[in-house]
Formats: sequence, structure tokens, C-alpha cells
Amino acid sequence: MTTSAPDRSAPSAPTGASSPEPGRGRAGGASRVGSAVLRAVLTQRVVLLVVLLAVVVGVFWNLSARNYLSAPYDAGYMALALINLPPLVMLGLAQLLVITSGRGGIDLSVGAIVSLTGMVFGLAHGRWGWSLVAAIALAVVFGALCGAFNGALVAYLGFPPLITTLATYYAFSSLAVVVTAQQPISTPPVQELYFLARAVPVVGEVALPLSILVFLVPTVLVVWLVTARTALGRRLYAIGTNDVAAEWSGIDVRRTRFLAFTGAGLISGLVAVVVTAQFASARPDAGTAGNGLALPAITIAVLGGVAITGGVGRVSGVVLAALLVVWLNAGILLAVPGNAGSQLQLLALGVVLVAAALLNGLSLRRYGGA
Amino acid sequence: MSVPSPARSRGREGASASSGRVLPFPVTGQELVLLGVIAALWLVLGLATPAFLTSGSLVPLLVSTAPIALVGLGVTVVIISGGIDVSVGSIVMVCAAVTATAMTAGDVPLVLALLLSVAVGGALGLVNGVLVAYGRVHAIIITFGTLNIFRYVGLQVFDGSTVDGIPATLAVFGRGEAGRTAGVPHSFLLVVILALAAWVALRHTAGGRHYYAIGGDAHAARLAGVAVRPRVLLAYVLTGLLTGLAACFVIAQGTSTLAPNVGLGLELSAIAAVVIGGTSITGGRGSVLGTVLGALLVQTVASGIIQLGWPSQLSSLFIGVFIIVAVGVDLLRQRGRSSS
Repeated sequence: MTTSAPDRSAPSAPTGASSPEPGRGRAGGASRVGSAVLRAVLTQRVVLLVVLLAVVVGVFWNLSARNYLSAPYDAGYMALALINLPPLVMLGLAQLLVITSGRGGIDLSVGAIVSLTGMVFGLAHGRWGWSLVAAIALAVVFGALCGAFNGALVAYLGFPPLITTLATYYAFSSLAVVVTAQQPISTPPVQELYFLARAVPVVGEVALPLSILVFLVPTVLVVWLVTARTALGRRLYAIGTNDVAAEWSGIDVRRTRFLAFTGAGLISGLVAVVVTAQFASARPDAGTAGNGLALPAITIAVLGGVAITGGVGRVSGVVLAALLVVWLNAGILLAVPGNAGSQLQLLALGVVLVAAALLNGLSLRRYGGA
Repeated sequence: MSVPSPARSRGREGASASSGRVLPFPVTGQELVLLGVIAALWLVLGLATPAFLTSGSLVPLLVSTAPIALVGLGVTVVIISGGIDVSVGSIVMVCAAVTATAMTAGDVPLVLALLLSVAVGGALGLVNGVLVAYGRVHAIIITFGTLNIFRYVGLQVFDGSTVDGIPATLAVFGRGEAGRTAGVPHSFLLVVILALAAWVALRHTAGGRHYYAIGGDAHAARLAGVAVRPRVLLAYVLTGLLTGLAACFVIAQGTSTLAPNVGLGLELSAIAAVVIGGTSITGGRGSVLGTVLGALLVQTVASGIIQLGWPSQLSSLFIGVFIIVAVGVDLLRQRGRSSS
């Protein structure tokens, strides 16, 4: 709720700020500063997200100081809440790759890939006695294969991404449930994985869950390097912006789009390991329970400034957006304890998604690209 | 506002010029193929499990097909216009919760309960419609968001428990003997009637043709004088109204208790029915009769798998495969048309 307030005020603000543009008087100077700030907030998604983060944390700190919350919302609690960060950021990055590739790119099947890969990982590590490293490698390869299946259909056969990944969502989640007849795998080797979710001290007092250091940070770095610093990344933005022009400039559009979906699957495979460690159990509905993991992932990508039309999106935006959602959700749980709190999280996620999408459209139309 | 590829619009022009007919043939090839597939499935299932081809098995099949087909009718119109609505499952939940609560707490008569459910559905559809038509954001994002928002509203109505003691007045839709005419449940009859009406409206009225025009090329449709935004808005309201009615079928289908997980994932079945029925997910082409057949196929698979004693979750796998096959067939047909 707090997050949507600045969004709402955005459409009305520009009319007053930008109209006296030709006038060079005192009012003109002030409004030029105002419109520059507004422009920065609307076009630089990172700026907006930092502002929103400050607002969310500030509001909850304030509530906490006045004893409105059921437990103190302090640095320790915020660090504890970060256990939910790795799956959200990583799946948000998976959506970043796919959505940025354009032509209606979207992946509804990420949650189902997490479920299915989690079961494969659980079988390998928990039942067949594979070593942890070998099982993680298997999970990554298996996730990439699932993503490659989507990618082959979409990129090489021309299937629409939305309906294709909806179909594979069905198929993968069904297989995940059937493979062990609905039984979760929680043998001792899988239970011991919980050490990945424990917090370890990093600098002085600050302790972070181990999975952030082992899985999240490397993934973020690799995705950032690939998208921002390699030719493959440039090609990804090129085909998302205009795939006809990209084709004519000699880019293998199909291969690039195929790799985007494969990358999303690979990341989802890694998320399966993280989620399995977090539950200390490989659950067949890990990525599909309730509304599944695809919705938060897409919400975070869109909130992070990834344009649903393709070609626009940055890693930093996705990371900040996930941080915002995690700390907002953590605060809601303290403000409204119990079942009502988790229901309110649903509402917040939906409102944030719609507001962020409307805002993306607005800033794109007003400034022609974010 | 997606920019349609030039190749596709050229292909459409060519097709209508070469055939020399404004309207396509009344029954599409996909519908005939579907009829064949359903007939073959029924035959195989009838041979494999003798109980399948009895009224004790077919009537529940038709009863469970009705709400999905009904929601599918609305979603068909939305998809033909180039959009999508994934929030229908949550709309079913809100409508069912409100209606069931009104029936148990307020002792509301049947007609009033129906009107209430349809009105609530229409109001939620209006929210979707306004945001999609005037927010200029793609429908998948908007309805993905409202999916959550509506679910929150529904959970508030349920208030953490189930709704118990729903009166049996809704049995008229097909659960008991009283709910059938000549062995066919009333809910399914109603769906067939509505589908025929929608089929005529989409094919033979200017308003119906506008949806195909918008889905084919929204920009061209606007230049040709189609009021694109009000039309799109209407499609989502229509979907909401039909989904409200479908919610009553869903209540009638169950026992006297309604649990908060009602409608969860129903949007997937509805979209699967639409796509399997031959409606192009990219918009501009499709038929509501195919959707009814698609819903029947989806439910036949679900019920067949249970009767064969296989794990019931396996039906999702088959539905996924069917969707991919249906989309593949549609793509082949599209390619054949644009090359000829």
C-alpha cells in the first residue's frame, strides 16, 4: 500500500511541473529542477526503487518505534527476512532474460521447472547417493534442458511464449507430482542441506543466509556480466528492441532467443536447489503451491523496470525490486500477524504489479524509453 | 497495442481474396478434428472401462464441463480481440464466495442469487476491462495482478473458513435428477444455448466482427472506425458476467460446503479449452463452438484418467501436450495460408 502512493501521484505531477517550460523566471527555474527530479524518478528505475525502499523501511521503522508491530522491525529482522531473497531475485533475473528477448517473451513455467528439477535433485542427492556437487550440476543441466524445450518451441518453431510456457507449466508440474507419487523427499542427505539456509556472519554483527553468498551473488554477477558486458547481452537487447532490424544486421535472432529461454531454465534449476535446501526437503509443489513462483517473479521483473514489450531491463532494477518486495512482505507480517498478513501480501503483490506496469507504460510514453 | 507483423496481415488479405468469401466456412476443420478426437477417446475409454459410457459417468462429465466451457466463451472473445484473462479463476472464487454466503446467511432466493453472482462477476470484469483498455498495458500483466487482488477479496469474504450449509436450490443446474432434461444436465444445456448465441453474435453482427478486426490489427481496426477501447472493455465485462454465472455452476457442482480453494487454476483449464478449440492465441481468429468442444476434451481426459486408475495429476500433463499440439496445428495452418 505504501509503495503505490508515490506511483499514484506521478501522473498528476508533470502537468504542473513541465508547463512553464519557456518561461525563464524564478518559477521556471524551480519547476525545471522539479521536472528533472521527476524525470529521474520516472526514467531511472533504480532511483525510484531506492526512494520506494527508503519509504517502506522508514514507515516500518517508524511503526516499530511506536510499538505498532508485533515484533521490532530492526536490522536483525530485516537480515533474517533476506532468506526469501535468493529465489525471488534469481527467478526475476530469469524473467528478465526471457522478457527482454521480446516478441511477447514471458515464462510462466519457471515455478514448475523449480518443482520438477527439485524432485530430480532430491532423487539424485537424497536417494541415489550422488554427491552434492554432482547433484547440483545435474539440477542445473536438467533446468537448462527444461528451458531449452521452451526455447526450441518458441524460437525455432515460432510458438507464442505465453501459451507455450503455460502448457509446459502444466506438463512439468504434473511430472513433478507424479514422479514420486506426491511424496516429498526428505532423507538425511537432503535434510542436511539446511545449512545453506542458515545465517553466517559476514562483517561484524551482520549475518546473511549462506545461500545468498553461494547462489545469489554469483548468479547476479554472471547475469549482469552477460547482459551488460558481452556481445550476447547486446544481441539480447537488440532482438528485444526490434528483431527484424536485428535479423538484418546479421544477428542470429532464433539462437539468441533460444539461449534466453535456456538461461531462464538454468537459473530455475539453481533455484530448485536453493528452495530444497530452505525446506530441507524436495517437495513436488515447491514452485507451484498456491499461485506459484511465476507471479512474484514476473512482478519483480516488471517492478524492476523490465519492459514487457522487450529490449529494456537491468539487473540492478530487478535486485532492488526483489529487496523492496521482501522487506515490504516482512513488514506486513509484523503489522498484520497471522493469516490476514499473508493474505495482505497477495494484495500488495497484485497492486504493486499493476501499478508498476502502468508506470512503465507512462514513463515509456512520456520520455520514450526508460 | 501490439504491432502486428506485416506478414500476417498480408496473409489474411490474400486468403480472403482468393476464397472470394467474406466469412469463413461455418464449421472449422479444427472443430471436426476435435469431434473425431473426442469420439475416439470416448470409444477407447468405453472399451477400457465399461463404466465410462454410462449416464452415471457421462452426466458428471457434462456437469463439470459446463463451468469451464462457460468461462471459456468469455475468454474466447477476449483472446480473439488479442488479449487474455488469467484472473477468471479468482473471479469464480469471489462470486462463489459472495453468492454462497448470501444464500446461507441471507436466505436469498435462487434468481436473486444468480443475479448477484453475475453482477459481482461483471463488476470485477469491469475492473479488468478499464485497466486493460485504458491503461495501455498488456492484458497478461493486468489480469495477473488482478488475479491476486481478487483472490485477496475472496479470502476476505471467506474469512478464514469454509461456507457451510448451502441450500440445495442450485441443484436445478444438474446435480440431482431434477437438474436434467432428457438426461442432459441443465447447466450444460444452458452453455450450449449461450454458445450458439455467442457464435451467431460473433459471426453475424457488426459488433462481433469488430473483435476479429481488433485482434487481427488493432490499429487498422481503429482507422476503419471501430471503437477499439469500448469494445475491448466490453469483452472483459462479458467475461466477468459469464464467469459469475459459471460460479453458480461451480457451487451447484459441489456439496453443501464451499472451500476457499474454489476456482484455483480454473483459468488454466479455460484457456486450454479455448486454445484446443482452435482459437488463435495471437488474436483475430477463433470460434466459441470449438471452445465448448475443447472444454469437453479437457474434462474427458481428466475423468478418463481417474477412471483408468492413473494418478489424477497426470491429466495436467496431457492437457499441456494437447495445448502444444493445438498451437502447432494452428501455426501450420497459418503458414499454409500465408504461403498460398
